[in-house]
Amino acid sequence: MTTPASLPDIDYAGVAPVLIILGAACIGVLLEAFVPRSQRWAVQVVLSLLAIVVAAIALGAYLYTGPQNTSTFAGSIALDRPALFLWGTLLALGLGSILLIADRVVEPGGAFVAQAGIRPGTMLDKEQANRSSMQTEVFPLALFSLAGMMIFCSANDLLSMFVALEVLSLPLYLMCGLARRRRLLSQEAAVKYFLLGAFASAFFLYGVALLYGYANSVKLADIANAAGGTNRSDALLFLGMGLLLIGLLFKGSVGPFHTWTPDVYQGAPTPMTAFMGACTKVAAFGAILRVLMVAFGSTHWEWQTIMWVVAGISMLLGAILGITQTDVKRMIAYSSVAHAGFLLVGVLALDGSGIRATLFYLISYGFTTIAAFGVVSLVRDGTGESTSLSSWAGLGKRSPLLAGIFTFLLLALAGIPLTSGFVSKFVVFAAGMSAGITPLVVLGLIASTIAAFFYLRVIVLMYFSEPAADGPTVTLPGMYTTAAITLGTLVTLLLGVYPSFMLDWAGTGGFVV
Amino acid sequence: MTVSVYEEIAFWILGPLSLAGALGMLFSRSAVHSALWLVLTMLSLGVLYMVQDAPFLGIVQIIVYTGAIMMLFLFVLMLAGRESSDSVVEVLRGQRIWASLLGIGLAGLVVAGVARSLGDVTPAGLDNPAANGSGGPGNVANIGQSLFTRYLFPFELTSALLITAAIGAMVLAYTRKQAKGGKNRQREMVNMRFRENTRPGALPGPGVFATADSVATPALLPDGSIAKESLSRIIETTPVTQIEEDEALADRHPDAHALTGAARDGDDGASIVASPASEERSE
Amino acid sequence: MSIAASETVQQASGTMSLAWLLFALPAFGALVLLLGGRRTNSWGHILGVLTVVAAFAVGLVLFFTSLGAPPDQRTLNLHLFDWIDVGSLQVEFGMRLDPLSMVFVLLITGVGALIHIYSIGYMDDDRDRRRFFGYLNLFVFSMLILVLGNSFITLYLGWEGVGLASYLLIGWYSDRRSAATASKKAFLMNRVGDVGLAIAIFLLWANLGSTQYTEVFARAGQLSPGTATAIALLLLLGACGKSGQFPLQAWLPDAMEGPTPVSALIHAATMVTAGVYLVARSNPIFDLTETGRLVVTLIGAFTLLLGCIVGCAYDDIKKVLAYSTVSQIGYMMLGVGLGPFGYALGIIHLLAHGFFKAGLFLGAGSIMHAMNDEVDMRKFGGLWRKLPITFVTFGLGYLALIGFPFLSGYYTKDAIIEAAFGAGGWRGWVFGLAGAIGAALTAFYMTRLMLMTFFGKSRWKELRSADDREFHPHEAKPVMWVPMVLLAIGSLGAGAFFVLGDRVVNYLSPTLGRLSTAESHPIPELLITIGTLVLAAIGVLVAWLIFGRAKDIPAQRPENVSGIVRAARKDLYGNALNEALIARPGIWLDRFLVWLDNKGVDGLVNGTAALFGGSSGRLRRLQTGFVRSYALSMLAGGVILIGALLMVRYA
Repeated sequence: MTTPASLPDIDYAGVAPVLIILGAACIGVLLEAFVPRSQRWAVQVVLSLLAIVVAAIALGAYLYTGPQNTSTFAGSIALDRPALFLWGTLLALGLGSILLIADRVVEPGGAFVAQAGIRPGTMLDKEQANRSSMQTEVFPLALFSLAGMMIFCSANDLLSMFVALEVLSLPLYLMCGLARRRRLLSQEAAVKYFLLGAFASAFFLYGVALLYGYANSVKLADIANAAGGTNRSDALLFLGMGLLLIGLLFKGSVGPFHTWTPDVYQGAPTPMTAFMGACTKVAAFGAILRVLMVAFGSTHWEWQTIMWVVAGISMLLGAILGITQTDVKRMIAYSSVAHAGFLLVGVLALDGSGIRATLFYLISYGFTTIAAFGVVSLVRDGTGESTSLSSWAGLGKRSPLLAGIFTFLLLALAGIPLTSGFVSKFVVFAAGMSAGITPLVVLGLIASTIAAFFYLRVIVLMYFSEPAADGPTVTLPGMYTTAAITLGTLVTLLLGVYPSFMLDWAGTGGFVV
Repeated sequence: MTVSVYEEIAFWILGPLSLAGALGMLFSRSAVHSALWLVLTMLSLGVLYMVQDAPFLGIVQIIVYTGAIMMLFLFVLMLAGRESSDSVVEVLRGQRIWASLLGIGLAGLVVAGVARSLGDVTPAGLDNPAANGSGGPGNVANIGQSLFTRYLFPFELTSALLITAAIGAMVLAYTRKQAKGGKNRQREMVNMRFRENTRPGALPGPGVFATADSVATPALLPDGSIAKESLSRIIETTPVTQIEEDEALADRHPDAHALTGAARDGDDGASIVASPASEERSE
Repeated sequence: MSIAASETVQQASGTMSLAWLLFALPAFGALVLLLGGRRTNSWGHILGVLTVVAAFAVGLVLFFTSLGAPPDQRTLNLHLFDWIDVGSLQVEFGMRLDPLSMVFVLLITGVGALIHIYSIGYMDDDRDRRRFFGYLNLFVFSMLILVLGNSFITLYLGWEGVGLASYLLIGWYSDRRSAATASKKAFLMNRVGDVGLAIAIFLLWANLGSTQYTEVFARAGQLSPGTATAIALLLLLGACGKSGQFPLQAWLPDAMEGPTPVSALIHAATMVTAGVYLVARSNPIFDLTETGRLVVTLIGAFTLLLGCIVGCAYDDIKKVLAYSTVSQIGYMMLGVGLGPFGYALGIIHLLAHGFFKAGLFLGAGSIMHAMNDEVDMRKFGGLWRKLPITFVTFGLGYLALIGFPFLSGYYTKDAIIEAAFGAGGWRGWVFGLAGAIGAALTAFYMTRLMLMTFFGKSRWKELRSADDREFHPHEAKPVMWVPMVLLAIGSLGAGAFFVLGDRVVNYLSPTLGRLSTAESHPIPELLITIGTLVLAAIGVLVAWLIFGRAKDIPAQRPENVSGIVRAARKDLYGNALNEALIARPGIWLDRFLVWLDNKGVDGLVNGTAALFGGSSGRLRRLQTGFVRSYALSMLAGGVILIGALLMVRYA
């Protein structure tokens, strides 16, 4: 009667990076159960870093043997060049984030709470704030999230994409609420992110359902075929696409779906903010790029104008709202909204140069963000990080090196030449120009000028203001944070001065169908 | 597309029911009622699935959603306190109006879009005899086939989701017991109570019906003195001076029925001292 | 149409391939000084000077090598590395060594070296002198990248770099609030211009597929007239921002908050002339569009008058010089706006101006150095006795600027005014007269400056400086006055050297095309020269009548009238005719323009900022912190998105 199910072909070498990260996460969970508490931190750090390095080696080996530009797991996972590039990006940025998470010097015991179960504000909580341990489950959670991101941007059907979306989001919701200081703010951020994330996921899922109804398949390629090949009413297609996009744009914090970004960025522990700012952006835009190009590329005449408007709104919202922010983390959050708009310009070019530009933008922006948040975590006062802009006044006098690095990173975010920010904006806008999105490019240039204002404001504050008497101090970073900041800054510089090799890597191929 | 009469009857009963359930969930004030309304919706949906030749899905819907998840919901609600519900006063101007308008708008868009596209679609249907019908492998086998071939990866990936959820619950709820100053477990509580040799038993109730109607009335010991432990610490309406006066009164006029006829040794002060036991009770 | 610049570009070889040293040297200096920290404090300034002097030497070698080559082989391309090299996206990092860039290299490194040397003395008592030199080197590096780059992208790179260095240096005295404001203003107004430049570059990219000069200029003819005009106007917007031209001129006077050597180097001699360079460099594009050139000339003419008139109003010696710079750049813009008739003239005036204006600023710095950093000219007076060297060098710069016969300005400015008269029709009259009137006004305000500073009563004797010290003016050390003397020699002879025998014009012709001359002038050339001279003489005379004959000039601005000052003022404006005919309308015009400058332009800037800030504040209120309100905004976005998708499909 029943035919025995035959497993689909699996290209183990190809998906090895993902499997390694997932496996390491599971091992990490087991270690939590068996390793004595005092050794867990060290073991988890080693495991996480090792997993990322091994995954990167596996990726390198696969790339070396010549990838086939195929998909595996019955077409669920694409192994094309953009996916592999994004994996590399995510692994590199994940490494930086894990380094930030692992630091226990800047904040004694780490940025994460020792025991999340203790109610904030109680005597116990005050006591544990000074204890030098942390909730080491953060490491496997981060790895799960990282794996989810990798799958998210290589998923070739909407069902895998949805599960990956949840796999990447759920640990993030959790980790957002685990800050050691200002725990109520952190928990509030987590709940907000969770509720809004669930809201967005619901849209996404509804979209998937409608698209299945339209194409009788959740595969991106089938949707494209259905859109191209039939004369049935495509109300379902566009309805489903709209709902799907809400979920995706939410993750990429593209305005007007960005509202969670500032609150969550501010409340989350700073290493987590860095992780979200860098990696989630990569994953989300990887997925947006794939969905728009593979599934909806054939119908782009119908929707591209609307997406231009979305990109424009995002740029302007981010740039304008950033002006009045008084908190560094919120400011970078709004800047990320503006950057999401710039990224969409590259996506909307909808051609090879657009893919290349977007991928390059993602990696350069990710490294800059990680380094920037690394710096943010170093400026502290008695109650923890001092993210209020007014307390950054005169930092240039107190700590010239740190202020210099932060200035450089801000200039990169503003897109000043010789930083990766300039090259990435240039390639993205160039791709947009050659695809004929001139108005959007002009708007982008104007928005980046407005945005330059609030980066500049921080620089002015740091150099041209007198430091406040009881202002924050700059903590000497430990090995891990130093490594993360150095990595981010050097890549920002390298990609600004010699971007060709990265652009080459980013542009070697399109999506597999 | 042909719809049999029975299917139509089922739909016209279940459809309004599920809609009513959903609306009821939204508008009922008590969280428990909301949960129960939701059960109605899910049950109706489960039956609808079955009517549409998806018995497995229908059963899963009922077992997992109605049976497991909703019951968990109810447990949590009961644990958290049936009465603890958020304030329903809306402080944001225009929030409700806009939310209603936009909600209706979205529903309108979706309904319009779906309605538009329904006309010229040939349903794939699940009653394909070769697949699901009596001749084919059947509903369950087909789902299994799909899960382990086409959707193998997302299916396996859900395990990551489950692990994350489990860890999350533990991280957020679990605190170490042996930590200094950490929460005590019940056995330790009992041991401590006896070791400290204060009051192993329950605290006395207040003297409500002895002399007054108020719970703020302290109980009287057999000797006529006041049992201070009988006053709940959370009742702050009783002024300390009042207790002092009462105490003084009791001291001067020993109760006729008292066994000793004398005031008890004043071993504690006028204010109520928190003993570990009374703290335990107030929690 | 001009005879198109010969576009035979050859690869650099031999000596010319050393050109990378030009910017590598200052870059090295900046790197060592900015990263070296306190260890380099003792010798940092020496290194800073040496790198620029060495770059100047390299520049000289290259210049003479290039002179030795036949004119059609003077345009060289030195490929350094492929900055962006992927598929259709080619941005080469290379240098273009042609006459135009060579003269700029000499100006930047030559004047730059002198100012570096001067700064050793001027910044002697500053704790952070090393960092100052680091920034100066950074500036020289960026400026050289700007002029030496072989594509619009490299130009943009240098463009942003000089903006950054200028921003850092304007805000040098970080304890002054005004310095921070000024640097911010400079950065922002420059960014407005930068947007124009960036859009222009992207338009070139989109239309021609390249930003290399060689490609762009070779194929500029393919641009449609509309696009060419648009590109030209956007380039002009960038030029206006960088060069302090109307309507983006307001930042330049404020930029005087920086140390005086910075004002001399960046805000007088080099960076602010980058706009003129940009227009001259893009001459094949501007040749295509009559409208574009007309707008350039209009802006040049308007700005030159505006700068002159506002210059009459200020008592701050550096601000007067700054407005003078604005106005002189107006001349240059007017020059290059005349197209083939004036590209070379604009550049020549730029070079000559670089010498005498840098000299003037260094002189002003020397005066400030002597006068406890005082900038109010009303507190000066009679300084020629105390500061003889400064007086002589400053005086030569002054004479050069007002166009005294046979000094620099006489040759270069006169040429522009003549060319302007030759523009034909109403343009000739408007631009020519604007130039001539500008010359008169220049003479007026510069004479006023000279008289108030060096002649008359020594008002400083009765006054104290802001920090309550007495003034003891003294001549500066040789390390400061030697550069001033050298620049004074430049102001003396540079113009003649450049113009006589058309030396520079011929040298530049491979880049800018042969200089055309107008067939006919509405009035004879000789008359123009004489007329301009007469106008300038009138300007001097009027200034002398007002300020020179006066026994005393109030040490306070006349608005705060005390008894003594009122008496003095009677003397000052004793001549009622003078007052009614010249002073009054002049003051009104002055006041109006100052008002326009402060309120109008600043108002526009601040208004735009307030608009953004205000809308930002309003939008910010949407960020209530309530999840349900965020969800609502998402829902709204979603409904609109889906509605729009369906509407576009079914509309």
